[in-house]
Amino acid sequence: MIVTDGLTKHYGKTLAVDDLSFTVTPGVVTGFLGPNGSGKSTTMRMILGLDVPDGGRALVNGLLYHELRWPLREVGALLDAKAFHPGRSARNHLRCLARTNDISAGRVDEVLDVVGLTAVADRRAGKFSLGMGQRLGIASALLGDPGVLLFDEPVNGLDPEGIRWVRHLLRRLAAEGRTVLVSSHLINEMALTAERLVVIGRGTLIAETSVNAFTAQSRSDVVRVVTPSPQRFVSALTRAGARPSVDDDGSIVVTGMCSADIGDLAARTSLTVHELTPMRASLEDAFMELTGDSVEYRSSDPAPLRGAPVASR
Amino acid sequence: MTLATTLDVPRHSAGHRAGHRAGLRDAMGAEWQKLVTLRSTKWALLIALVGTVLVSFLSTNGVRHQSANFYKNFDPTNTSLAGFALASLVIGILAVLSMTGEYGSGTIRSSLAATPRRSVLFGAKAVVLGIFTLILGMVLSFLSFFVGQAVLSGGAPTATLGDPGVLRALVESGAFLALLALFGLGIGAIIRHSAGSIAVFVGCTLLVPLILHNVTGNPSRFMPVMLLGNSVGAVVPVFGALSSTAAFLLMALYAAIALAVGAAFLNRRDA
Repeated sequence: MIVTDGLTKHYGKTLAVDDLSFTVTPGVVTGFLGPNGSGKSTTMRMILGLDVPDGGRALVNGLLYHELRWPLREVGALLDAKAFHPGRSARNHLRCLARTNDISAGRVDEVLDVVGLTAVADRRAGKFSLGMGQRLGIASALLGDPGVLLFDEPVNGLDPEGIRWVRHLLRRLAAEGRTVLVSSHLINEMALTAERLVVIGRGTLIAETSVNAFTAQSRSDVVRVVTPSPQRFVSALTRAGARPSVDDDGSIVVTGMCSADIGDLAARTSLTVHELTPMRASLEDAFMELTGDSVEYRSSDPAPLRGAPVASR
Repeated sequence: MTLATTLDVPRHSAGHRAGHRAGLRDAMGAEWQKLVTLRSTKWALLIALVGTVLVSFLSTNGVRHQSANFYKNFDPTNTSLAGFALASLVIGILAVLSMTGEYGSGTIRSSLAATPRRSVLFGAKAVVLGIFTLILGMVLSFLSFFVGQAVLSGGAPTATLGDPGVLRALVESGAFLALLALFGLGIGAIIRHSAGSIAVFVGCTLLVPLILHNVTGNPSRFMPVMLLGNSVGAVVPVFGALSSTAAFLLMALYAAIALAVGAAFLNRRDA
């Protein structure tokens, strides 16, 4: 369980994280979503006690990070792919970490095996590719078999196979009852991995919601209709209660009516339809709209969006 | 390349030290592991050993068969420790890098996530580095002494361990290297960047004494390398230099200040 309570952090005059409160519960993967520079990494660093907040606090299992008795056995973190000395081998890097929390050398070999680095474990880690560095970072997160896991952009630099593996690994870890927080700026990646979402923009909370609710919200039914008689079709649609608008290319974009109903309407009114295309706003569009809004709102009045669930917008 | 992965993360049976918490002992074990798993440590050891003994050999070899007047104030012990300037440099840089290397590579974040109590981490580094360099310093001082005396015995006055002040000079010189290492560790923690820290360390120990050499009052005698060469390592007192005890304590003070400031900075700053 991770709880942040009014976390605030300035870097000089820049407000990186602004009064951020959210809860990450065990058992599900929680996606930590926001554009680049929105404060995700800073928040994770504050959870781990690497950066000291200017205000508020972050608790892991009810304690400040430095109060944990055996930090690596309670919290595992992948913060950046290159948090190891280039001159040390992967095995030695993990052994050094293991010693700090009285973790056996046998455990080091186990996690090397899990991430698939056993064959290269004795090579200097500085020679690793970005993806191999990520795997080493994931191994160090798993080292203490912790109940709380934080991953900052874990799929960066991984090949498609590696991405799939991370996705499944995160879900598996959560299914085992662990608390899993994964940051990403890619909404589609999160939609495949996470069940819950914490969305931030410019350091403030935009939404704490489920992926399903977020996806449903973004699936506004839009249908594109191409017809030789757009004006008559528009008035028929309007009479039937839909909200049509004519696009630049003469096609009609209809909201508020599904493609089946539009087809029926065309048959009833004997209007010719050349094309009838159900369209879905992409998750990315929804995300951009959501986080873009937050920026616009912030300059005038930050209140209406603060913590509002996506579904109510 | 294909890396075979698995989704089955085996559980780790932990907690055989229930009731305890990760402490200095654990952190020291890790710091020792860090020190011995870096190639730079092995290189530094090799260069310090070979270089120091070689310089001692050459320096003692060069002062044999001189005039009686030359040997009037001759200090066979200090002459045999001539290689310590090189040892100071190598060990100091090793110490600096043990801190700045963590910042340069990002390892510091792994280290602090594993040992979040920063004074524990820094304390472990200081103790491990201190013990390591203390042992190395002792080996170097006695090795240099015996090699040097063996060379001198072929045509110059020599000293023995039983002579007054010799044992003190050797032990204090060895320990002086450990103090220099702690001084370097402190500088590394304050500056955090390798190049800058090394520049400051080398400047303090070697360059500033050179620059200040002819300044009134000779302030260079307060600089580390002068404390070592003219006071701590000297059995025959050098004119104008501090006493060996004062010099040793002054270096201890420098190290303590650098460590204290470094610890304060480490505690206060974001990693």
